[in-house]
Amino acid sequence: MLTQKIILRGIGVSPGRVEERVKMITFPEEIDGINEKRIIVTAFLFPDFLTSIKRNNLISGIITENGGLTCHASIITRELGIPYIAGARLATRRLKENMIITIDGEGGGNLR
Amino acid sequence: MPSPEIIFVYDFKKEEKKIDDFLKNKEYVSIRSDRESGLNFCPHNLRCPKNKAKRFIKKFISRGYAAILQNYVPIMRDRFSGNILILKNYILMELMEEGPLTWLTREGKVEEQIKIRKSDLKEVEHFGKRLVKKRELVNILKLIKKVPDYIIIEFTLRPEGLYFWQIREDKTAKKLE
Repeated sequence: MLTQKIILRGIGVSPGRVEERVKMITFPEEIDGINEKRIIVTAFLFPDFLTSIKRNNLISGIITENGGLTCHASIITRELGIPYIAGARLATRRLKENMIITIDGEGGGNLR
Repeated sequence: MPSPEIIFVYDFKKEEKKIDDFLKNKEYVSIRSDRESGLNFCPHNLRCPKNKAKRFIKKFISRGYAAILQNYVPIMRDRFSGNILILKNYILMELMEEGPLTWLTREGKVEEQIKIRKSDLKEVEHFGKRLVKKRELVNILKLIKKVPDYIIIEFTLRPEGLYFWQIREDKTAKKLE
């Protein structure tokens, strides 16, 4: 059995566990173009990003470098039921496009 | 609790007099907005000149929001600002230096996170810089200890004391238990 190593830690702001490929995002329009299930990785979910996330049900997980439990983005992802880890410092540098990772939003926000 | 003067406007025509009374003797006001569905970001203008206020209020209401008018409080004197989330057994504080608090709430600028056990008000987890002194933390906790669960309290600490902005319900916080 393969063991998984914790590669980053953050704050689990919306619970759930999901394993999927990474999609690095800089601009909200990139979310509209996603046509396969992906975990999106970005600096933070600004308002325009959330509008695009609501439109695309292929977003199976979210990781951001900033943010916390009380941010508006966290409340919205909890409503949408999308696992989300915030405050994962260096995520945009350490994670690479198409990397397969596991989000564990209930285990204190670990990324494997 | 110290808090800004505040009015809620749902219908511009019917409540225009209330708006005029609020705007009297003010140079600037803060205009926020809210609506029942939490799935959208609510527009705001945190430093709106008096002569433009009515235009913003009309615009927010026409888009289906309730407009919230508050006293404009300059952010220059904010020491730190934050959100307090009340859970069943814990109190969670997320803080940032200075303000406005919207940088934390909408832009994710969280610089300190403190998890406090409700039963004895002891700190059980801490991340980030120490922005709040223990004495200040105790004072804040004393003020909010009777607030019901799944509520977020927004506040700022200024030299003249604590300034509570608003209290909002967060039903999704049940998922964090």
